[in-house]
Amino acid sequence: MAVVDVHRFAESITCHAWSPDLSMVALCPNNNEVHIYKSSQEQDQWERLHVLEKHDQIVSGIDWSSKSNRIVTVSHDRNSYVWSLEGGEWVPTLVILRLNRAALCVQWSPNENKFAVGSGAKTVCICYYEQENNWWVSKLIRKRHESSVTSVAWHPNNILLATTSTDGKCRVFSTFIKGVDTKDPKAGSPAESKFGEQILQLDLSYSWAFGVKWSPSGNTLAYVGHSSMIYFVDDVGPSPLAQSVAFRDLPLRDVLFISEKMVIGVGYDSNPMVFAADDTGIWSFIRYIGEKKPESSGASYSSQFSEAFTKFYGQSKATTANEASESSKSREGVHDNCINAIVSLSKAGSPKVMRFSTSGLDGKIAIWDLENMEEELGHQF
Amino acid sequence: MAGAGGFVEADNAEAIIARIETKSSKIESLLKQYKPVEALKTALEGSPPKTLDERCKSANWIVVHRALMAIKDIEGMLNALDVEYYDILMKYLYRGLSTGDRPTCDQCLKIHEKLTDRAGLGCILRCLTDTINTV
Repeated sequence: MAVVDVHRFAESITCHAWSPDLSMVALCPNNNEVHIYKSSQEQDQWERLHVLEKHDQIVSGIDWSSKSNRIVTVSHDRNSYVWSLEGGEWVPTLVILRLNRAALCVQWSPNENKFAVGSGAKTVCICYYEQENNWWVSKLIRKRHESSVTSVAWHPNNILLATTSTDGKCRVFSTFIKGVDTKDPKAGSPAESKFGEQILQLDLSYSWAFGVKWSPSGNTLAYVGHSSMIYFVDDVGPSPLAQSVAFRDLPLRDVLFISEKMVIGVGYDSNPMVFAADDTGIWSFIRYIGEKKPESSGASYSSQFSEAFTKFYGQSKATTANEASESSKSREGVHDNCINAIVSLSKAGSPKVMRFSTSGLDGKIAIWDLENMEEELGHQF
Repeated sequence: MAGAGGFVEADNAEAIIARIETKSSKIESLLKQYKPVEALKTALEGSPPKTLDERCKSANWIVVHRALMAIKDIEGMLNALDVEYYDILMKYLYRGLSTGDRPTCDQCLKIHEKLTDRAGLGCILRCLTDTINTV
């Protein structure tokens, strides 16, 4: 098993983020607070150090910058705070996002001079720090999105931003801001577009899209659709190569690139899934990260599903003795409920991710280590 | 939602209905030759019709229904069917279940059970979330 540590912090966790030295975790226990826990020497001993209480409604996104040690939080109350550690206490600075709907997700840019917020107002806010006025300014990308923006992801060049939305589309925008970003001297670089200009729109999904991420080099994009599909786009640019991979089980909510050719997806199956690209560049589902127990016959659904299936099929006059109903083993995985976030535990910008953490609606955070799994996962890793 | 911006009407309704009639006669002959699996494969090809016209969808459904009801060996049929047709078959199963007609529902339930075993819950999800290519 690849799990190193599991700890239940609350009844349910909305989102989480790690400190630069990975010793502390900030999480939202499904309310308007952010709790910061520190791990101590012994296994499974977590001490709550701080409670950040400023938001009025649920905190939907947290990100902790690794170089500047600042925490940004966004909430359904349409606000965002940037927290800095001063004298052992976390001090909030309000960022006026100018939203009239909830903020849903947030991410610091790679250079940590900007952060992006996706919202239910069909807009994306790009916030940057204005030195002269000593405050954070929010610039809105108002056009294009037809519905809520569920997830945002920064390209390593600090200018391109990918977004997914409940209108099913994934879009890439330029967020070039004069005075904050420097023009790339390389000619023909697509990053020199105007702020808010849409570079690419991907129409692969019919249903809500979530969880977009870039590969470490920024060459590939991956995002998931609510129809149990995951989409991979190689060579993002004027002529992208898109692939749609359909898989067996329940939809995913978030993904993480652990190398250029391997992606881990997490979602409603409570068990991370591994996807990889082979030598020809074709992506496919490889396996679940944990061993799934050998199935008694076909379906290995939990007892809840088996009961429902028996009822459903029992309506047919010619009922077959349904063997699937005896597989009443409960899910023997790490998480008991939907995993809604996966966060890398490796240095930002590193080409391979060896450790990552997942948090879910069951209130647990699990830390996974892939150190010894290279053989199992295959040569693509 | 994005609406029908996903596809353009491939042909007009008449052309599609004509194609369906050709399919129908092919299927009748296959059924006479006791080849129900071939018949179902033929019925599912080109489905769902890329149109918003209800008559085309109904015409196609009648053809698929005919082939579905003739299937006796479900395992064999699923073995012979390409994986890409699983999602489409699942959509037609749900259409069958929605008719409420006892024999149709019995047959559809039997096939649904086996198909879910093979294709998993993801197949059902794709059926539910796809509001554009309906059958």
